[in-house]
Amino acid sequence: TKRVLLFKILLFYVIFYGCLAGIFIGTIQVMLLTVSEFEPKYQDRVAPPGLTQVPQVQKTEIAFTASEPRTYEPYVRNLDNFLRDYSAELQTENIVFQDCGDVPTEYKERGPYNDAQGQKKVCKFKREWLENCSGLNDPTYGYKDGKPCILVKLNRIIGFKPQAPVNESLPPEVMAKYSPNLIPVHCVAKREEDVDKIGTVEYYGMGGYPGFGLQYYPYYGKLLQPRYLQPLVAVQFTNLTYDVEVRVECRAYGQNIVYSDKDRFQGRFDIKFDIKSS
Amino acid sequence: MNVGCHTSNFIHVPRSRQFGNKNFSSLMLCSLQFSVSLGMQDDHRLSTSDLEKKYGTSIDKGLSSARAAEILARDGPNALTPPKATPEIVKFLKQMIGGFSILLWIGTGFSWISFGIQLAQGVDSAFDNLYLGVVLALVVILTGIFAYYQEAKSTNIMASFSKMIPQQALVLRNAEKKEVPADQLVVGDIVEIKGGDRIPADIRLIFTQGCKVDNSSLTGESEPQSRSCDFTHENPLETRNIAFYSTTCVEGTATGIVINTGDRTIIGRIASLASGVGNEKTPIAIEIEHFVYLVAGVAISIGVLFFIISVSMRYKILDSIIFLIGIIVANVPEGLLATVTVSLSLTAKRMAKKNCLVKNLEAVETLGSTSIICSDKTGTLTQNRMTVAHLWFDNQIYSADTSEDQTTQPFDQSSPSWTALSKIVTLCNRAEFRPGQENLPIMKRVVVGDASETALLKFSEVILGDVMSIRAQNKKVAEIPFNSTNKFQLSIHETDDPHDKRFLLVMKGAPERILERCSTIMINGKEEPLDSEKAEAFQTAYMELGGMGERVLGFCHLYLPENEFPENFKFDTDSMNFPTSNLCFVGLLSMIDPPRSTVPDAVSKCRSAGIKVIMVTGDHPITAKAIAKSVGIISATSETVEDIAKRLNIPVEQVNRREATAAVVNGMELKDMSSEQLDEILREHSEIVFARTSPQQKLIIVEGCQRQGAVVAVTGDGVNDSPALKKADIGIAMGIAGSDAAKNAADMVLLDDNFASIVTGVEEGRLIFDNLKKTIAYTLTKNIAELCPFLIYIIASIPMPIGTITILFIDLGTDIIPSVALAYEKAESDIMNRRPRNKRKDRLVNEQLAVYSYLQIGIMQSVGAFVTYFTVYAEQGFLPSTLLGVRVDWESNAINDFEDSYGQQWTKYQRTYLQWTGYTAFFVSITIQQVADLIIRKTRRNSIFRQGLFRNKVIWVGIFSQIGIALILTYGLGHVTALNFTPLRFQYWFVAVPFAILIWVYDEIRKLLIRRYPGSWWDKNMYY
Repeated sequence: TKRVLLFKILLFYVIFYGCLAGIFIGTIQVMLLTVSEFEPKYQDRVAPPGLTQVPQVQKTEIAFTASEPRTYEPYVRNLDNFLRDYSAELQTENIVFQDCGDVPTEYKERGPYNDAQGQKKVCKFKREWLENCSGLNDPTYGYKDGKPCILVKLNRIIGFKPQAPVNESLPPEVMAKYSPNLIPVHCVAKREEDVDKIGTVEYYGMGGYPGFGLQYYPYYGKLLQPRYLQPLVAVQFTNLTYDVEVRVECRAYGQNIVYSDKDRFQGRFDIKFDIKSS
Repeated sequence: MNVGCHTSNFIHVPRSRQFGNKNFSSLMLCSLQFSVSLGMQDDHRLSTSDLEKKYGTSIDKGLSSARAAEILARDGPNALTPPKATPEIVKFLKQMIGGFSILLWIGTGFSWISFGIQLAQGVDSAFDNLYLGVVLALVVILTGIFAYYQEAKSTNIMASFSKMIPQQALVLRNAEKKEVPADQLVVGDIVEIKGGDRIPADIRLIFTQGCKVDNSSLTGESEPQSRSCDFTHENPLETRNIAFYSTTCVEGTATGIVINTGDRTIIGRIASLASGVGNEKTPIAIEIEHFVYLVAGVAISIGVLFFIISVSMRYKILDSIIFLIGIIVANVPEGLLATVTVSLSLTAKRMAKKNCLVKNLEAVETLGSTSIICSDKTGTLTQNRMTVAHLWFDNQIYSADTSEDQTTQPFDQSSPSWTALSKIVTLCNRAEFRPGQENLPIMKRVVVGDASETALLKFSEVILGDVMSIRAQNKKVAEIPFNSTNKFQLSIHETDDPHDKRFLLVMKGAPERILERCSTIMINGKEEPLDSEKAEAFQTAYMELGGMGERVLGFCHLYLPENEFPENFKFDTDSMNFPTSNLCFVGLLSMIDPPRSTVPDAVSKCRSAGIKVIMVTGDHPITAKAIAKSVGIISATSETVEDIAKRLNIPVEQVNRREATAAVVNGMELKDMSSEQLDEILREHSEIVFARTSPQQKLIIVEGCQRQGAVVAVTGDGVNDSPALKKADIGIAMGIAGSDAAKNAADMVLLDDNFASIVTGVEEGRLIFDNLKKTIAYTLTKNIAELCPFLIYIIASIPMPIGTITILFIDLGTDIIPSVALAYEKAESDIMNRRPRNKRKDRLVNEQLAVYSYLQIGIMQSVGAFVTYFTVYAEQGFLPSTLLGVRVDWESNAINDFEDSYGQQWTKYQRTYLQWTGYTAFFVSITIQQVADLIIRKTRRNSIFRQGLFRNKVIWVGIFSQIGIALILTYGLGHVTALNFTPLRFQYWFVAVPFAILIWVYDEIRKLLIRRYPGSWWDKNMYY
């Protein structure tokens, strides 16, 4: 009878938890029905966008010795992996890709956020635009010469249209290559004392503009633009002081790109360089 | 002088074998006697001059002030040292490490250890662990302080209670009489006492005048004992020339030398010995301990299990430790012990209003689980005042009203015999009302005089009105007061009729002595010769009244012939120049200390509640039995062995003892009984009266009851009751009649000395036990909803659904007031109709309660909360399928482009903020479902609709507070980063509502099936 009792209890809990599981799955399914598969219901937590760099590094530090390939090999591999999607041979299908020109232009609206018209086209992004940092000529992206490249990208947000900055608010260097359809990117020394250690900074972007062209926006999401290429800006530090930690902050500028004290990656990021001479 | 243990009969020392292993009490009493004998040595034998020499004092002048101050400095004040209290710091530390505190301290320790390690590793979020540790420590300290404060508050009630107006003593110093506070008395002081005073120290009497003392607080014997200067007995406790500290002088005056003060007095020694009797754990303390072990066991085993799981899933040890902290925090109901304390103190307050003052909070519940009450008779069951109960005149017995607030007497007062009798009652009485009480009800007025005379005075005052003026109109010309050789009292009066110049002689006394002196008897106002037939009638009536345990007095009178006793006749009470025989017998009056009017009802309530009421009294068995019968302790139909023997007319030995449900046990019999015999009596008879018992025997009775496995409540007032009060599971001291020592030893003080108040206390105690069950069930439920997130987080690697700090906000924030509100819940059925709980079987937290709360309602709550969690994430871009297994990347600080289900990229902070939104949603869902949980916990068996949703208003205060606090946390403090709350979209408050309704419906079905199929499998497994 003890067995019978145990069995009864077991049976009860099997039924009980079975029902609960059913209710749980049922409710989740109903909830999912109310959610669109093309765009999320709310974006208040993800916008305004973050600004991130490639290579992705722990503790935001790039440390290597130029003469020892082993020390920068992970960064190079990271960059290689990331740029694979940007190779010219992968951007040949005209059904998917569209040539959006070599200079920043207006937003490219592609209709409503659903698949009524099938998938949406995406703008091509030419790897050559990244010049010294494209990895095409120098497969070590300048690391072997102690002139490291990083790639800067704005986080993807569905439907987000970054607005070009108003003139007055920008640092003069940024104004040098101004376009009304450009979200400029600019890197400076984070700390006052690092200003003279940072050296020259080269920017490579579409058509030589140091920023993101507006024609790449808005983003239509993973389902409608599975092969979307987010615009990149390569930043090369050609004359960094060796053997000291140099902290660099890069910002993207735009009217709806804001910075926050709490989120250090919103619209900007900072990164440390520590290049050993030997 | 070396009085052995067994030679004195002052304290009935039980033979030690009766105690088995528990012979501490016999030892105690034995050592008491021994020390008493030593300490007192021979003060009672010394002559006055020897005493003067011994104590360096003078009977005429007393001590000098300087000398008195010297002795005071040497001996200390004349006051009992209060029982040694546990130092406050120890009490405080006990609260800090008791209960769940240890678990939380462990959590704190782990938090700080992981903070240290992470700090050394340079992890950004290291400080989170520091804060968590600080919060946990704060929680322990604050709940500890709270519990300590509650405890201290209830102790303070007691302290204020014991601080009575300082007693004064009239002392002779520097040859001057002056009043000094009694605690300033020193050995050698000459003090004067008079009727009504409390004896201020142990005193050797050197001058007395009609002095009588009431030693009941010492010996339990309420009959006043006379005191004189003569050395009458070897034993200092028996001799007449010593009066003891804390006893009262009933009448007369006396002067004496103080021979012992403070703790060196007899009472002081008894009190200090009583404190040696250990305190046993209260039933509720045992229950709570059991519950703490249970929950701690669950917490530790789940914690360790998941520690092993997470280590074997290749989590870092440090992470595993952090999970362990979370699991502990989720499992421990941090607020519960505070809630229990509050609930108990609320009940204590409610009981105080009903005249039960609880010294120890836990005693509240103990009273509820009481299965035997050993009650005193005098003052507790009875009104503690003699009252005229019956009259006999004209060959007929009349009953008088004995209630507490009588204003008239209903019996037939038209007979002229009554007029004659009332005159004797009024005139032959020396008792008087103290002046200035005209506005008080007659029954409440203070009277100078002994108990019987007081009863007669009040009786006649009620019927006739102003007795004093009647006495004034019938001027007293001579009087012989009552004495034990004559056994009568006599007085001679002028009559109030101005034309009647005769004197009226009135007499009262022991009925048989009065009858001896009579030759006629008054029937319907006419004097008739007292023949044998009438004498027979008198005997029958006398026996009947005596058989009811009443004290009977006979009354007779004689109008003295005018010719022999002219107006100016000089009566001489010494030569008795007047007739004292051939009087006219008028009637009988019988008196008793009547039961309180509320007691019979209370006793029958106890009976239906399965509580055995045992009367323990020092009174005569007949009186005890009569009172027991009239209050229902011995029910109308049950018989004692002696009753059966009488009915069947066979010797007592031949009666089948099992047929007798009732038993009246005499103290002398008890003395010779072995513990097995006592056990047998306690087992075999359901209605027991112990008569003529000494307070020491009370202890034996209590121990006997406890051997039966009973939870025993004992009432007591005397100092000698204190060991029994301590030994009892719940000692109840009398607030009015009780001595300080008794109050100190007791767990509870009955402010009105009324037995009925105990019964209301029992009811409250039972109710709080039921309600604590509900509170605990309510509190435990959400622990699962707090724990599941951790387990699923570890196993499925989803983003953390709820934070440790958030859990603390539920446990110590939203849940506190609702769980206290359950303490206000009314009983589901008549709780006084079921048996007392079996302390071994009926646990506070039983398996069913834990299983139902943890595995059923708790899981349902978790499901509801998880639905909300997944909804929040899905609507922000993370569909449930994307969430599985993301933990490592999700929590990585290096990844600031974390991709969601739509291809959007999230920075670390954006994810963390979303995670906090998830915490808030989870928190809100638990809160919403806890509202349903609160409602279902209102009853355990009945439908909520039968109990009434709105009857307990406090529940609604709880619900509103719960939601209010949640609103404040979410929207008010949503921007304080450290708290991990974020403002939440309003619709998310309603996601869990269907689950809350589901919980309610499911529980109603559970209750319905329990009611429908009592005793079924469902009932056994689902009723907690």
